[in-house]
Amino acid sequence: MFDTERLQVLAARVRPTAASRTRLLPTLPSIAALLPDGGLRRGTVVRCTGRAARSMALAVAAGPSAAGSWCALVGMDDVGALAAAGYGVDLERLVVVHVARAQWASAAATLADGLDLVVVVPPPHPRPAEVRMLVARARDRGAVILMVEERPSCPVDLELAVAEAGWHGLARGAGRLQSRRVTVVARGRGQAARPVRRELWLPAATGKAAAA
Amino acid sequence: MTQAGPGAPPPRLVLIECPALEAPEGAAADGVERLRRFGQVIDALSSVCPWVDAVRPGVCTLPIKGPARYFGTEEAVLDRVGEAVRGALQGAGHREAPGADGAAFGGPAFRLGVAEGVFAATLAAKAGVTVPPGETPRFLAPWPVDVLGDPELADVLVRLGLSTLGRFAALPAPDVLARFGASGARCHRVARGFDGELPGYRMPGTGARLVAALGRSLALEAHQPGFWGGTSAADERAAEVLIVLQRRLGPEAVAVPVLEGGRGPADRCRLVPWRPPAAAPEPEGARRIPPEPPWPGRLPPPAPARVIATGRPAGPSQVERVNQAHQAHQAHQVELAGEDGAPVGVSGRGLLTGTPWRLSLAGGPWTSVAAWSAPWPAEERWWSRARRRAARLQVLTVDGAAYLLVTEHGRWRVEAVYD
Repeated sequence: MFDTERLQVLAARVRPTAASRTRLLPTLPSIAALLPDGGLRRGTVVRCTGRAARSMALAVAAGPSAAGSWCALVGMDDVGALAAAGYGVDLERLVVVHVARAQWASAAATLADGLDLVVVVPPPHPRPAEVRMLVARARDRGAVILMVEERPSCPVDLELAVAEAGWHGLARGAGRLQSRRVTVVARGRGQAARPVRRELWLPAATGKAAAA
Repeated sequence: MTQAGPGAPPPRLVLIECPALEAPEGAAADGVERLRRFGQVIDALSSVCPWVDAVRPGVCTLPIKGPARYFGTEEAVLDRVGEAVRGALQGAGHREAPGADGAAFGGPAFRLGVAEGVFAATLAAKAGVTVPPGETPRFLAPWPVDVLGDPELADVLVRLGLSTLGRFAALPAPDVLARFGASGARCHRVARGFDGELPGYRMPGTGARLVAALGRSLALEAHQPGFWGGTSAADERAAEVLIVLQRRLGPEAVAVPVLEGGRGPADRCRLVPWRPPAAAPEPEGARRIPPEPPWPGRLPPPAPARVIATGRPAGPSQVERVNQAHQAHQAHQVELAGEDGAPVGVSGRGLLTGTPWRLSLAGGPWTSVAAWSAPWPAEERWWSRARRRAARLQVLTVDGAAYLLVTEHGRWRVEAVYD
């Protein structure tokens, strides 16, 4: 009997070779509903902002990661790896890069040379020249940069803003945090100029992202 | 009874120990000289294998499986390692001082050991042996428990008549956890050969200190990742840039998360330096959640997206790391108060001493508390005088932020943020 699950895993592993010629990185269905192309377009910059911005970034990274892309986190030394795994990020293709403030942009640019996805929490007040250099490198190399920031440091192709967020499950002295319902507004350039609003569980009680 | 399985064994490696080149943090001027010499040893070793892991000053490892495939046998690798280290030490003008018995003159200034995991390889180096593949647990068994480097634990074990690693290893894991807490359980996994490294042995930042002492990048050989293995084009492209980045920033700057046992989120994940795929072939699923005994008091999912651990590894410079740790410490202090302004804590019976009303982070403005959990008690090392009594609490503020707080010695701090 064929071990179909194993075959699917293998198929996912070899896919990036072929996908490097395509322009879209696949995402989870709940995330795809927010993206104008239904996937992450290579060479673009996406900003995640609002109360659940880091969870949003991890959920966005989950789809490409599961399909074989490598993902780096810069300025996110404090990432909860269990949460990342919960959203679907494959920890075998996740690196956490620790850099001094002065080197964040050059490290992220180097990562964009070889990794499909670079999630960046920039330092406060990053130098515009550094940000431009990073964006140019991502466009050139076909990487996707996910900026996690409250104060925009550069124009982006798409912004995913968590407008409202409410936790469920915790009461006064009882219960526990179980799931969070968020409203995400996606807006960007071109096709994405008209904002799209979606309700998501980020995370659902399973730890994954799901449409609400 | 059934016990949690061993999971993947630690990687087989050769450990090189240069006792004369140990340089504790904050060592004086000759500490820098020792670091420089140790950097030269690592440079020399990188001609044998591009991936050398500087565990702490004076101690490094390299994987042996990949190089053994390349050079033919493990003995051939050891010959080359010995040659490289000897050459580097002589080239660095290093001479072994005559020992009290005079026998050390011209004798070994370094020791080699081969085993699965850093801990066993250290003992193998001490004994000067190559432990055959798969034999590491049997090799560990006769060593006295004080090699675990925890005098208090060793003291209790010896009083219980468990004087060797083998006898300690034979205890059921859940009993060890119940009696000795998380740190005892970790020592137990090491004694059984399931975990390769004792916490606290590795000195984070060693690579960065070496780079600083040498005044240049470590001369790791440029190489094709595909030559050493690699599974897909994406893996190889990633490996290439990660190698470049490690050479520029130091090995610890590029880390991968490893999940392990523990109660709180900070215990359950550790960052370790990334290594190229086939330099140290990692068994499938090595980074997945390991099989383990149940952890009473473990937090239920979902896990928080930000985990604020004290003593993070990996700093570009030691000073910066210390400063960051200090600032982080300040930044994560929390005050939790009741309606009357009196601090709310956790009683000896594990109950809140008041009703949480408002919360202040790092001395900042007060925010009203909207909801909170019952405390999760967590007591570590209860058997020791240095025991840690801790409790965790989930708190939601009216602005929608959710925190995991932990209290120890009557003070709250943020352990994680449900960002």
